[in-house]
Amino acid sequence: MQEREKILDNYTAKVFKNRKDHIVQLEESGVSQEIAANSRSIPGMMVNRGCCYAGCKGVVLGPLRDVVTITHGPVGCGFYSWGTRRNKANNPDGRNFIQYCFTTDMQESDIVFGGEKKLKQAIKEAVEIFHPECVLICSTCPIGLIGDDIQAVATWAQEAFKIQCVAFSCEGYRGVSQSAGHHIANNGLMKHIIGTGDALPHAGKHTVNILGEYNIGGDGWETSRVLKRIGYEVLNVFTGDGSYEGIKDSHIADLNLVMCHRSINYIAEMMKIKYGIDWLKVNCIGIQETIRSLREMAMYFNDPVITAKTEEVIADEYAAITGDLDFYKEKLAGKTAGIFVGGSRTHHYQSLLKELGVKTVIGGYEFAHRDDYEGRDVLPSIKLDADNKNIEEITVNKDEAKYRLVIDRERFEELKDKIELEEYKGMFRDMDSGTITVDDFNHYETEKLMEIFKPDIFYSGIKDKYMMVKAGMPARQLHSYDYSGPYSCFQGALNFARDSYMAIYAPAWKLIEAPWKTTSTLMGKIGGAQ
Amino acid sequence: MSMNLVNLNVNPCKMCMPMGSVTALFGIRHCFSILHGSQGCATYIRRHMATHYNEPIDVASSSLTEQGTVFGGSDNLIKGIKNVIKLYNPEIIGISTTCLAETIGEDVKNIIYQFYSENPNETVKIIHVSSSGYAGTQYEGFFRALHAVLAQTIMKTGANNKINVVTGQISPADTRWLREVLDSSGLEYVLFPDLSENLDGGYNTEYSRLPEGGTTLEEIAQMGGARFTLELSSFVEDEYSPAKYLFDNYGVQYKRMPLPVGVKNTDTFLNALKELGAVVTSATKSQRKRYLDALVDGHKYSALGRAVVFGEPDTVKAISDLCCESGVVPTVVATGSECKGFAAVLENNVQEACERLFVEKHFIATNADFDKIEELAVETKANVMIGNGDGRRVAAKLGLNLIRCGFPIHDQVGGQRVRMLGYEGSLDLLDKINNALLLGVEETFRITQYKKYYQGNGLDRQNINLSETEPAARTREELHAKNSGKTKTHPCYNCGAGQFGRIHLPIAPKCNIQCNYCLRKYDCPNESRPGVTTEVLLPKEALKKYLYVKEQVPNITVVGIAGPGDALANFPETKETLRLIRQEDPDVTFCLSTNGLMLPIYAQELIDLGVSHVTVTINAVDPIIGAKIYQHIDFMGQSYTGEAAAGILLGNQLSGLKYLTDRGVICKVNIVMLKGINDEHIEDIVKKVRELNCDITNIMQMIPVKGSIFEDMPLVNKKEVMQMRIKCEQHLKQMLHCKQCRADAIGTLDNDISFDFRQGKRQQTIVTEQTMKRIAVATSNGILVDQHFGQVKEFYIYESDGVSVKFIEKREVIPYCKGAAECGVAAEDKIESIIKTIKECGAVLALRIGDSPSKKLKAMGIRSITTYDRIEDAVRKAVNL
Repeated sequence: MQEREKILDNYTAKVFKNRKDHIVQLEESGVSQEIAANSRSIPGMMVNRGCCYAGCKGVVLGPLRDVVTITHGPVGCGFYSWGTRRNKANNPDGRNFIQYCFTTDMQESDIVFGGEKKLKQAIKEAVEIFHPECVLICSTCPIGLIGDDIQAVATWAQEAFKIQCVAFSCEGYRGVSQSAGHHIANNGLMKHIIGTGDALPHAGKHTVNILGEYNIGGDGWETSRVLKRIGYEVLNVFTGDGSYEGIKDSHIADLNLVMCHRSINYIAEMMKIKYGIDWLKVNCIGIQETIRSLREMAMYFNDPVITAKTEEVIADEYAAITGDLDFYKEKLAGKTAGIFVGGSRTHHYQSLLKELGVKTVIGGYEFAHRDDYEGRDVLPSIKLDADNKNIEEITVNKDEAKYRLVIDRERFEELKDKIELEEYKGMFRDMDSGTITVDDFNHYETEKLMEIFKPDIFYSGIKDKYMMVKAGMPARQLHSYDYSGPYSCFQGALNFARDSYMAIYAPAWKLIEAPWKTTSTLMGKIGGAQ
Repeated sequence: MSMNLVNLNVNPCKMCMPMGSVTALFGIRHCFSILHGSQGCATYIRRHMATHYNEPIDVASSSLTEQGTVFGGSDNLIKGIKNVIKLYNPEIIGISTTCLAETIGEDVKNIIYQFYSENPNETVKIIHVSSSGYAGTQYEGFFRALHAVLAQTIMKTGANNKINVVTGQISPADTRWLREVLDSSGLEYVLFPDLSENLDGGYNTEYSRLPEGGTTLEEIAQMGGARFTLELSSFVEDEYSPAKYLFDNYGVQYKRMPLPVGVKNTDTFLNALKELGAVVTSATKSQRKRYLDALVDGHKYSALGRAVVFGEPDTVKAISDLCCESGVVPTVVATGSECKGFAAVLENNVQEACERLFVEKHFIATNADFDKIEELAVETKANVMIGNGDGRRVAAKLGLNLIRCGFPIHDQVGGQRVRMLGYEGSLDLLDKINNALLLGVEETFRITQYKKYYQGNGLDRQNINLSETEPAARTREELHAKNSGKTKTHPCYNCGAGQFGRIHLPIAPKCNIQCNYCLRKYDCPNESRPGVTTEVLLPKEALKKYLYVKEQVPNITVVGIAGPGDALANFPETKETLRLIRQEDPDVTFCLSTNGLMLPIYAQELIDLGVSHVTVTINAVDPIIGAKIYQHIDFMGQSYTGEAAAGILLGNQLSGLKYLTDRGVICKVNIVMLKGINDEHIEDIVKKVRELNCDITNIMQMIPVKGSIFEDMPLVNKKEVMQMRIKCEQHLKQMLHCKQCRADAIGTLDNDISFDFRQGKRQQTIVTEQTMKRIAVATSNGILVDQHFGQVKEFYIYESDGVSVKFIEKREVIPYCKGAAECGVAAEDKIESIIKTIKECGAVLALRIGDSPSKKLKAMGIRSITTYDRIEDAVRKAVNL
């Protein structure tokens, strides 16, 4: 366990005290250890976390294609969250505003005198030009401080334009990371949109929603394709290529599939209470994980036709990729990897890498909570701190008219023991002993880990990508897939294998040498010294 | 429909101040940035810079949380400073404030003081930049940071022999060029800032967390003692100008000049260096010759260019200059900043470039978002875009090539290496522009020629096979009879129905074809007088207006949709309007007019909506003639020109017409008689549409519209039109009583009372005895009130007693409104000067007028009336109000 100590070595006493609980080196494969998570970042530490607004507008609400999402605040935040997540969307009804960025672009006088009037006018203008059915308002830092009542503006807009209008108070300083924004977005969607439609359940079909799938690089489309082949009806994807029109009626689904547990578990839980919809934690990254997820779905529905079709599709999809995949497996066997992503992918990709013969030695999350590492069993023992208490917890009640149980409770209990139904066991159970996991990783720790473990490839984001490649290490972005994708299901696994192979075997690496192969690294220079 | 969005920024063409501040600080050696605010700001900025520069971008955050917003952020900031020192050991720390820190009123200066007093042995230099995101863009942020660095540096006393060269945000590659020039000049210099290495480093075997390039603190400390400053910026404000600061505080003389892009600007820069004693190398001289040679080689391609230039003010100005000197016309020059004096500096050059090539329209816009830029690009028919990568969406939509330069470029690699400075950089850019233009020709030339010479006329290809959907003859006759019944009360289809009125609802602003006699800023002259409508209505508003008017004017029997664009180019609105009205009024006759391009597609829906009368404007039944009348059409997402356009249009007009007449809809065909173009051909049109069972044709005079291609075409006179109608009468019934009315006309044909219903209000018009009153009119052509008060170049002065209207004279004025940049304090004086030119008038008529001038006018006893109308009518009404 000396690697962990090496990382913590250089810290001051104060920082050491804070960071030591966020870095875990697993003592025993697959056995959870306690980790500190979802707490404040240390100022000045160059973490990769974004803010509450980024989680709310950027992640959860941004991908909705038929709503006009207005960023209420100065120009920067709206601009920076414009088209930067590669959440793809289709344009079936001429209402796709994904390519647009809307902001109230507040000026100094608006900060001084208040921006409500400007916001109202902006909504009016948006409605006149784009005729959306739904307008969402996301506020940035100054809004909460100057006291604009965006909730009142939303109510006004509903009346004035007969549209749905929902305001999200997702000022950047709320919470400790994007995660607060996910929660706020979940609450708003649940309160004002989910279940407001009047569609009736589709009898005779097996209908599902995919939750926590943002269609980065087309992942959601690939997953939906496979599900449709089996015979499922995919009602809504939250929120990749999702729509207001669809989400209104998402309460009629038979089952909710949860991909990204971190960003959407709130909605899954609340839909269970309000509409009786069970949820299943799935993972469509990696071949074995995809197969497991598909089989567990089939077990849930217990329909012989679906069960047979599931096996048929699995066999067919798998056969289509094996030849090529074998080549990549041969090339990637024995390599090691580091993965630093947001709050779910680090887990999702580990099984895929394992199948390719790549061992994950470093894992890290930006904004995960303890349950994402250790499994939902720890939920009761997580204490709320001051930062998290500020994020509203909403209570929902059973909707008698729309409540519906698809399978009887006896069977539900029986299944619960067998499959990941309303359960998430966390990332640690799939990690090996000796591997390092870092919560809220920062620049310094990343660099140090690179030096210690020297993995063959690093999967991370744009902000640390260049640090790695300049140090001679192949890196691929797992947030936006470097213009590639999809990576989900069978075909996606092949794409991922190809991209990883290309990264590691690029001729450029032969022309340069990684610094640690020639000299010792990390020679911090004293300011001004030549 | 020209939307003037003032509150909603759609696709911003700017970023926030901290972005600029952080970028500038990257040009200083061993400097490390902390953003004081939420950590999202640092993350977003790192993400955007890393993607552009392909370098690790290390920016720390003070990670303020909710608690910080209540109790202040000093704890966080001090912790941040300490951690940055521990892990990075920088020589300088730059603290830029964000919206959050500025809004809670953080006293950063004091926090820094507190840090030093708690850590007396700390030698790191801390610079504080006030850069709230709402007080300006990245452009202002960049200079604010430079200013802050100078203002917070203790200068070395005593003069030295250096010259300072100050730049705004330029690419690392361009910075390297600057350094090469200065190195070879023999001058001692300080380049401030120096982004050349830190944001575009080479591959090193040793990785250093603190980039090693940039202006050193020692150099910066010498800037106060330098002998001269050259500031390469056209628009930096005095308040944050490094050169001005050094002059005011240390007496360093300075000169400000544009970025050295293009031969003139580069000459200016190099001459300035020469005056300071620089040696101009022979290499530079031959580079200059090579650039001039390229200008000559490429001039014939350059002249085809109509460029949209956008981005930061200094970059845009420099590129615009390069365009102008090479013959490319920058028809749209736009920045997202609220840059003062932008238009004034650029106008002359651009105007001259436009005049040389007879380009009528150009726009110089500040505070522009991409929505606006797109609109202007379309309006000026631009064919190339030059600016940052965010223009890609507009470029893709309009099918234009985008030459990427400036910041950010996220969709391509190499943004940090884009060159445009100096003769060689200019040459790079010029080649890119010319190649983009050549590519445009290359991609379209063959297909255009092929269509022209080798493809049969578009009619055959576009004909829609109707045989399968041919309705039974019985139904057709029944429907025709039923619809004919409605003709009895339709004033346009029956000259005996003059006592009945109609209302035109102006809900259809867009058009999908360009007729040569039409200028899109007016509405379609076929069916309506130029000049829409003071308003474009939404379907719901149209319903409201109809119900209101119907109550006041009971003889309204027909609801028509006649533009101001084309009813079917706005089909969702048309459909919704008719649907809503039908719900309220089952009997009223529905009538609409169209150019027919989308007719086959919507014909059945029109029938289903209960439309009984349709007018199609068909000016030719031969694509060769049609090609002379239609400039282009937009059909199914494609733009067509020439005979292909005319062929498609004609095919659709005829098949659509047949579809309607086969189903009993009463159809009228309007024909605009165009001297020397279709006047010999009109009989053929009438014969053709008779074959298709059209009910009536309406041959009309062209209304000349200033600015349209046919504006100077000789007109057919009324007699000739009448003779043609008589000639055609033998083939088909002719309409003789058309009044070519407005898109928002109301009432009987002889008495348009729409003026009384503007904004839904009916005002009683009382004519009283009047003495002569003077009225000033904002007009571009002496026919219509069609100019914005602020943009008018001259006023026409009229006198009227409420009956007769007499033109007195024209008076020139300097327009005050050229975009937001100049609408500041200085604009106030300009309003005064406009008002002075018309001070004795009782009222001023304009298309639009701002709030502030309107109030000023009122204070002087001048009424301001906004309208869109024929001048005579408007003046008369104004006097009688």
